[in-house]
Amino acid sequence: MNDFLTFAMNVVALGLPLVLAALGGLVSERSGIMNIALEGKLLGAACATSLVAASTGSPILGLGAGLLTATILSLGLVWLTQSLRIDHVVAGMAINLISLGGTNFAAKALIDQNQLSGAPTLAKEMYWGLGVLAAVVIIVGFARTRPGLHLFAVGEDPHKSRQMGLSPIRVRVGALLTTGILCGLGGALILTNAGGFTDGMTAGRGFIALAAVILAGWRPGAAVAAALAFGAIEALRIQLQGAPVFGVEIPTEAWASLPYIATLIALTGFLGKTSPPAGLGRI
Amino acid sequence: MRALDAVDFSALPGQIHALVGENGAGKTTLMRVLYGALDVTSGTVLLDGNEVSMPNSAAAIARGIGMVSQHYSIIPALTTLDNLMLGAEPSFALDRKAATERAEALAKQMGFSFRWTDKAEALSPASAQKLEILKLLWREARIMILDEPTAMLSPLDADALYGSLKRLANEGATIIVVTHRLPEVFEFCDQVTVLRGGKLITTQPVPELTPATLAELIVGRPVEIPSLPESHPGKELLSVREIQVKGDRGDDALKSVSFDLHAGEVVGIAGVDGNGQKELFEALMGLRDVYSGEVFLGGIPITDAAPVKRLEGGFRLIPEDRHHEGVIEEWSLTDNVGLGLQNQPPIADRGRLDRGALERTASAVAERFRTKHGGLDQPMASLSGGNQQRFVAARAISGEPKVVLAFQPARGLDLAGIADVYAALRDVSRSGGGVLVVSYDLEELLTHCDRVIVLCHGHLAEPDADAARDRGAIGRLMVGVGE
Amino acid sequence: MKNGHHWALIIIVLALSIFPIFLTGTPLPDAARSFWESSIGQPRGWVVTLRELSPLLIGGVAVLIALRAGLFNIGAEGQMLVGACAATAVALQMPNVSGAILAAIAGMVAGALWAYPAGWLKAYRGGHEVISTIMLNQIAVRLTAWFVKSPMKDPNQIADTSPRLAGAAEWVPVASFGRAHLTWAIPIGLLLCWLLWYWLRHRVAGYELQAVGANPRAAKVAGVNVSQITTRAMAASGALSGLAGATIVLADQGRFYENISAGRGFDALGVALLAGGNPLFVIPTSMVFAILNAGTSGMGLEGIPKGLSGLILGGLILIVGSLRTKTGGSDE
Repeated sequence: MNDFLTFAMNVVALGLPLVLAALGGLVSERSGIMNIALEGKLLGAACATSLVAASTGSPILGLGAGLLTATILSLGLVWLTQSLRIDHVVAGMAINLISLGGTNFAAKALIDQNQLSGAPTLAKEMYWGLGVLAAVVIIVGFARTRPGLHLFAVGEDPHKSRQMGLSPIRVRVGALLTTGILCGLGGALILTNAGGFTDGMTAGRGFIALAAVILAGWRPGAAVAAALAFGAIEALRIQLQGAPVFGVEIPTEAWASLPYIATLIALTGFLGKTSPPAGLGRI
Repeated sequence: MRALDAVDFSALPGQIHALVGENGAGKTTLMRVLYGALDVTSGTVLLDGNEVSMPNSAAAIARGIGMVSQHYSIIPALTTLDNLMLGAEPSFALDRKAATERAEALAKQMGFSFRWTDKAEALSPASAQKLEILKLLWREARIMILDEPTAMLSPLDADALYGSLKRLANEGATIIVVTHRLPEVFEFCDQVTVLRGGKLITTQPVPELTPATLAELIVGRPVEIPSLPESHPGKELLSVREIQVKGDRGDDALKSVSFDLHAGEVVGIAGVDGNGQKELFEALMGLRDVYSGEVFLGGIPITDAAPVKRLEGGFRLIPEDRHHEGVIEEWSLTDNVGLGLQNQPPIADRGRLDRGALERTASAVAERFRTKHGGLDQPMASLSGGNQQRFVAARAISGEPKVVLAFQPARGLDLAGIADVYAALRDVSRSGGGVLVVSYDLEELLTHCDRVIVLCHGHLAEPDADAARDRGAIGRLMVGVGE
Repeated sequence: MKNGHHWALIIIVLALSIFPIFLTGTPLPDAARSFWESSIGQPRGWVVTLRELSPLLIGGVAVLIALRAGLFNIGAEGQMLVGACAATAVALQMPNVSGAILAAIAGMVAGALWAYPAGWLKAYRGGHEVISTIMLNQIAVRLTAWFVKSPMKDPNQIADTSPRLAGAAEWVPVASFGRAHLTWAIPIGLLLCWLLWYWLRHRVAGYELQAVGANPRAAKVAGVNVSQITTRAMAASGALSGLAGATIVLADQGRFYENISAGRGFDALGVALLAGGNPLFVIPTSMVFAILNAGTSGMGLEGIPKGLSGLILGGLILIVGSLRTKTGGSDE
């Protein structure tokens, strides 16, 4: 029983950053902006949280910096794709590169590593509460509120939405603002879980979150479930420590690849056909 | 360029006001101004006698102006109810129960019925049009602008639509209808405004006009109807035997269609949009599977031949959607001319692309219909829509085609252009080829084709020999009302 | 208005590229001199730059062929990794010249196989290639990491690395200038640039591939087998990426270790985007990226973290992306 409790706690701890990032990705993609830059936002947020918390000694300022960084990167994606009309994939990839390079730079150039690992952080339980709240708000908001309907409509067809008096750009700015905040929380939580910043510490979690969005067919409830499932896989991997399952030794890399393999299988459509928002990525 | 030049336009409540004119006359521009989608460089818009400014559609909607565009603004992935509310939800939290009640009440008032929780993708064109009208009522629009509202409707549905509009007008709405179908103007409209070349020609009560005078006002000169040259059909060229084809949604788009196209013949396919025309052409080009039945070219079965084989066998297509299927807009004219001809001499030489031949073909094609262009190395996007259509049509008839499938070949062309295109199609038939033309304009087909057949709900029908050119008889076939 | 946005972007990118150097306390002239000397200003710089060039040159061609077919091959990174890993496996078995050739071929096969699912998903199941290649990248990283930890690990080393290749690395140079080696990879890359250019311009198949990339519906109507071309273009792109990965092992590192590609797959995407669709322009643009990589890693000695190259690279891609859309056709 005790084992199970540890496992459950691990699932929440490992799954929640994925839930937050997946919800962020979902809101963005539902508005029509393809978001392969979740990884960059998580990493940027984790780095900024750590830097500011370490240098000011205030975990709240740290979290604020994390939220701000992720939001700037997120709104940057709106600017790049909507005002400069850069391809969504190109813009997202560039943001990832800039974030990866920038955090490497900032962490190495500004502060020595010891100080970074000693950054004060807020209680994990606070993030857990915020994560649950975000999930509920988004699931309910999608189904039952005006912004939810507008988000869906703009992602499907911005042109027709404009004809119906909506402002697609306003909807998208709102959506990506939400994405920024969620990714900021996710990044700060990853940092809190780890205790200190290390180069490239998000280790592909932004891509796992994206995988959860796709696996879930762009539906919020399913995205939360998929993100938690991926968290469970990770927890299982840690718990097993490479120990054999039913007599078969499964390398830790195979466990880590499972979310990606599941997503590839989902893309074949054999598990049931889901379709992305019709206007996704089309300026 | 000036799309509208000092045009005065006014519409009164309680009337259906028709706005007519040729392509490029400025109808769409005028409507977009009224709907806040376009700003004027000079002039004013008055509503109830007061000057108003409408920087965007939202402002127009707020003032009680609603518009139904030709292609509808219904989002297929949303439910019918959500489409109805979109942009005009009563509250932040959506109360779908209350909304359904109001929707039901509005629908009842108009005599419509909908399944509100179904996705809108299942709506027929006629139902979609009805939903668009309900959207206007939902927004309490007093001024309703409809762009070619009957373009996708059968004659019966069109009559029903005007019945609804009449009722709304009687209740005090102002209704503006843009149309190119003159019979509708005379049957249902109270006032008509004619635009030509961005200028106002006239606004008059409909009863003061005759069809002939209205046609002359639109075109600017007397309209002469060319006489059909005598044709001498030869052997069977293309034979279609009981083919069945699925539509995009898995429905039966063609249900056992059979016909023959003879050498030397131009055959028109009449029918309302969405009755299987697109699927027929795609099946004939090999772009869509034929799951039952056979197709022969000169007696040889080609039912399952790949598109490239058909092109080599002399098939040519003038596609429905020129922008997306006919040309590659960012490519030069020279590169575009190879599309569909890329595997045949002179352009292909055992896998090598002969760029010299490409250039020669491009200049010949551009020459054929006097396509206006700024150099063959310029991108296709630099051409106007009409000139792109000329280019596509000329490409399809180059290189001695056997069978030309022309989907709305006259779309976007002025009268001279239409005459040019049909003359070229006639040339194909004179030199022993066959031509199939799809158009939604029955007049156009009767004017230019040797024979008209009709597609309705995936069934093909041919009028009796004595009714071959009888508009009434063909019109009845178009809506599936008996032989 | 739109112009204003472009200037704002350029200013932001310049700030992101230069301002961080001030933060490190290294004087700008020192940083610039270090960049210059460690890229092309000194022979020791050329050693690094030429080493960096070959995977970028071949990888650039790889990404470009997919790009011309309308496919974003974000998966070049993963294809390079599996290519490098497969090439190492073969070269370890056959430490001679024919082994090196077979190793390069093995790299191509592995890369093609790794890219094939992405092309197939796009062509027949409508799965977006960006998503599938991102997933394949993540799997490739873990798969090759496992290889080098378990079956391929050099037992005499503490770190996870394959044994050093005997023979292959010595065979590879065409010519040497001091310690700067001109390896076979570079002439092969140049040849590939020219071949692709010729093929796209003068072969019907190349014409059809570009039609698919520019407008798949129009291509289909013109009788082109769009699904087949999509699958093949992706596989070809993967094969070349795999070859690029193989050259990292055969012509440069002489062994395989975890994450050996170190982001070169993403660099290759930048190279191809910067080349603007013309294979011949891959030659100068891959040189730019090679200099950038060599220069920034040299600046590391001055205490400037190598993350700077990510900032510059990302900014460069954005500027190119914004210029490309500016000249492109109209949107919906």
